[in-house]
Amino acid sequence: MSRLEAKKPPLFISEPLNKDVVSQSLSLLSGILKSCYGPAGRLKQLHNGVGGYVCTTSQSSAILSRLSVSHPVLSVLTASVQSHISRFSDCGLFTAILCCSLIENFKSLNVASCTVIKISKHLLGLCMDYLKSEACGCRVAVDFSSVETLLCLVRSVLTSKPACMLNKSEVDHLTTLILKAFMFTVPCHVETDAVLGKCIIVPVKGGRVADSTVLPGLLIETPEIKLTKPLTVKRTCSNMIKIALFCVSMSGDCFNHEEGTVTVHHGISLEMSELDQLLNVGKQLVNDEVGLVVCQKVIHPFLKQYLKENHVIAVDRAGLSLMEPLSQMTGSKPIASIHLLSPSCYGNLKDVCLESFASKHFVHLIPKDAVICSLILCNRNETAWDELKRACETAEHVLQLTIKEPLALLGGGCTETHLASYVRHKSGSLSTSSLNDIDCSRAQYQLVADGFCRSLESVACSLNHDDGEILTDMVYGHCWFVPSGFPSVSNWSDLVSKCGCRINGNTENLNWRLLQGQFGSPVIQGCPRALGKADFLTLDCFAAKCSGLQVALETANLILDLSYVIEDQN
Amino acid sequence: VTDPRRPCPLAVAHGLRGHLLPAVGGRLAETAALEALLEAYLGGRLGPGERRHLARLGCEYCRRCAPAAAPCPSLLRLVGRRFAELHAAVAGLPVASSRVLPGIVLRRDFAAYCPVRGDLRAVLVTEPLRPALSAPGVEFLVDSEGRYQASQRWIARRTEALMKHFQSNDVKLLLSSVKQEELVIYYAKLYGVSVVECLSSEEVALICEITGVSPYEPFGDNTHREITESAVATFCQPLLLGSKRCVHIGFTSVCAFQPHCLILCGPVEGVNEQHAAALQGAFTMLQQLFKTVYQREECKADDESQNEASDVCCWPSSATQKQLVIANAACNSSRVSECQLKVPRGETETQLTDLDLQGSENPARVQTDLQKPSNAISHIKEFSVATDGDDSSIDVQKPHAKCEHGGDVHKNYESDSLVYSQKNCSTAALAACNADTDIACERLGVGKDLEKTSCNVVPFKHEKSCVSVAQNYSNCLIEVGSVLPVGGYFEILLHYYIQYYAKQLQQSEVTVVAHVVADALLSIPKSLYRTREQDSFTKFYLRAVNALRRNQPLPVNERGLESVYCKYQLVISVLHCVTELLSIDLIIGIKRPLQKIEDYDSEDDF
Repeated sequence: MSRLEAKKPPLFISEPLNKDVVSQSLSLLSGILKSCYGPAGRLKQLHNGVGGYVCTTSQSSAILSRLSVSHPVLSVLTASVQSHISRFSDCGLFTAILCCSLIENFKSLNVASCTVIKISKHLLGLCMDYLKSEACGCRVAVDFSSVETLLCLVRSVLTSKPACMLNKSEVDHLTTLILKAFMFTVPCHVETDAVLGKCIIVPVKGGRVADSTVLPGLLIETPEIKLTKPLTVKRTCSNMIKIALFCVSMSGDCFNHEEGTVTVHHGISLEMSELDQLLNVGKQLVNDEVGLVVCQKVIHPFLKQYLKENHVIAVDRAGLSLMEPLSQMTGSKPIASIHLLSPSCYGNLKDVCLESFASKHFVHLIPKDAVICSLILCNRNETAWDELKRACETAEHVLQLTIKEPLALLGGGCTETHLASYVRHKSGSLSTSSLNDIDCSRAQYQLVADGFCRSLESVACSLNHDDGEILTDMVYGHCWFVPSGFPSVSNWSDLVSKCGCRINGNTENLNWRLLQGQFGSPVIQGCPRALGKADFLTLDCFAAKCSGLQVALETANLILDLSYVIEDQN
Repeated sequence: VTDPRRPCPLAVAHGLRGHLLPAVGGRLAETAALEALLEAYLGGRLGPGERRHLARLGCEYCRRCAPAAAPCPSLLRLVGRRFAELHAAVAGLPVASSRVLPGIVLRRDFAAYCPVRGDLRAVLVTEPLRPALSAPGVEFLVDSEGRYQASQRWIARRTEALMKHFQSNDVKLLLSSVKQEELVIYYAKLYGVSVVECLSSEEVALICEITGVSPYEPFGDNTHREITESAVATFCQPLLLGSKRCVHIGFTSVCAFQPHCLILCGPVEGVNEQHAAALQGAFTMLQQLFKTVYQREECKADDESQNEASDVCCWPSSATQKQLVIANAACNSSRVSECQLKVPRGETETQLTDLDLQGSENPARVQTDLQKPSNAISHIKEFSVATDGDDSSIDVQKPHAKCEHGGDVHKNYESDSLVYSQKNCSTAALAACNADTDIACERLGVGKDLEKTSCNVVPFKHEKSCVSVAQNYSNCLIEVGSVLPVGGYFEILLHYYIQYYAKQLQQSEVTVVAHVVADALLSIPKSLYRTREQDSFTKFYLRAVNALRRNQPLPVNERGLESVYCKYQLVISVLHCVTELLSIDLIIGIKRPLQKIEDYDSEDDF
């Protein structure tokens, strides 16, 4: 009997945003996330007091999935950011910080939330239209005929994750590897609908980062096959290796699929009969000149021995996750019957060899056209490896998103400050009919627009974790960092050399102003200007950042619109 | 004690009707009207940022599901009922990424996917395709190893043969409600058949509804027969929704509904659920737009002996039976004995006919009058009402009047007759409350009587005349597709006309109730205007009432529209509920939960 407990009444919280507890937790969360942001972000160590696994990270995906938030308002925020991360992998911190700032800035305005929401939607529309227009000054077209911009994108992802503990040469090495791995997954012969291949990350924990490498094809770990003997594989007349892929167990067990009963007469052994059948399969495989047999499950030692004697390599326990890439790579169809074998199921491989990385042995399957590759990823310890793996997956995802929409946004805070300048410029010249359409006054619009811009700028400011000043220029609207230790009255042009995204060298007097803490700051007279090209840019993923911007605003609006929280306590 | 619902139909009949705007038919096809309806509906359910976007999306969905015509009730019913299967949610994307896709999306990946170009045939199955050696209660006897192997081979061959059969019949897609064995998937891949497993029963039902096929039965002797139960699809491909791979199939529809799927995006799961629920509600609301409220006079009596003369006047222009049910939905049917005016017309079903009515005037003359749609001149005829119950008291009314009424202006009706009928009613009502039974009698006074009479006469003729009646408003209170601007206009109008009606009465009890109802209605616009600046409700009220007094159109600055049928039914239901609550004199707490008493059919209940 389950214990009966009296039902608790639901917890009823009105105007949750005006509660101190909520605003305190919100600013705490915002503080934690801001301190993680960017290449100089501070690391967080997440561990349970009881002991066990420790995670050192600055990535939003790792932090948010482990952090338990107390208040329902905050769980809306974290759920929203986590959903964003699951879609785009990148720009999670950007989304979270922007969302927190928007809530804080909008809440402090003395404007009805309904009006704030309408105006902020309009502002978001301005931003999105600008980001999608050709005239946009903070986006760069990605040219897939050269690797430069792609390397910049990958490098920006890696450098923004300081917990990977990479030095400069390691970053360069991994950047090249990740791009190389991505290139492997792009099919050479594209028909109407191209499908990207897959890059499988093979963990080698405890090795040096510089030992990481990328190989075409697949690696299957095989503890039994020793490196001592060179591998001799049977080849077909076209010098290819025929592969048979099994997705049923070849262990010789009798699986009973039947719902009813199967009665076996005395003296009849179904196991023997199954073994006979396995041997028949083996014979057919040998006759069909199969050189390699891979089984998802277990192969009976008897069959293994038979295949070995006939110079067929047998690899079992490949696991479900490898089946799809294996089938994609070799063109074979996973066989689900040991009773009838159709020769059309077999696939082909260019070569099979043995590899070993840090005391692990692998069979390396090399396909003819590689859309599948393996990234052997090494890092010093488990925590750093986990962080690096997340970073590599993010980088790969960013490249995939970029190939769909070949654009990138300037990183290093420049997109945020540039957008803020653009919105400030646009919001000053809004037509009366638009105001009527939104149903608000010009003053209200200006207030909300200012809050919106300050929120964007506060994301850029979060990149700075030291005491230095952050500036924005009045020509391009980029973001500039002044090292700490200089008085704020100095001539700025002596102190800054490159803007956050590094597109802009300090060549002219750009009329800087401080980013933080100023009201009524002068507004750029014209539209912020676009810049030409430069090398070694800091770039962000276009799709992820655009979506992050929208999700942050929508989530902030959702939270601002909450008047009651009713929590079931049972 | 007096039924507070009583004034409502009268108020509608008296004046409110004249303010209604038509939206269905010509106008619902217009996107603007549909969008205005949806936006107003969603405005009460979603945040200010999303409503317009979702209203547009809902509109686009309706338009694309019914590309040729305006969305009809059957289509909206299908969308409302199957909405769970007709939409897919993706969390983590901005709301702006929501879109309408052709075809339907099954939220699972292919078990086997073989790309196909062009049209393909699909088959639905509901059982495992791999034949079994034994079944529950069936024993399979193995007497030799060879025979066991042979039977295993037979199973494999049989499965292969089935797939070959699919291939030769050009079936490229297998939709299974159960999980299939690996063997089936393997042979499906070999023979170029894509497989989707584990379809829910709702998904199967939707596919059956759209394509008109029924599940294919593979076993028996029909392995070589041509497969007839197959659906046609124009495409079948994987679709990446967020990070999940789904199945996207473009079925060719056999019904008016062109299958489309709504992809709802939002930052969090909960937002998507809210949006989906709101849109589903919106589609249900749109269905209500196609319903009408007919005039009726009803009398409720528990006891045969207290049977009052009662009638329900219900003259639908088409689909008589269905709309009769709808019109009666608001009544407490278990306690109401409804009687309909019986007219000598064969096809009009009247189950509860107690009254016989004979129009004494020349029907041809009425007919000619009715065909002037601009000013509906109707004639009140002398008629006699007779109940054919055994002990029932017979109430005969003979209002003699000939009135004219054009549009919503009611000038010339005879108040004597009205008072007479009201008095008649109230005595009945009083008698009813003395007997502690719930009797309420609605009389629509002269304004209604004349319309009723006109309806009675029309069916003497033929179908066409019915249509003409429907067109000149003579029989229904609220027409199909009547809408009003949102923002308290319905409540103000109803308030105004209930008071207007109450003024005509000299009878205190009904007047009091009417005033209470009228004032209560104002609480809705009051709370709507509460959040705006001071005195805005008073301003709104005065503007509206002044316009009504001067017979001017209402000053409207709202874009949104709402269905009057929904509003009217809501008010009637609320008043019904209020009546019930007010009639309770004692609440008794009991320890055990009440057992629901099932209604058994008499056959089961020997």
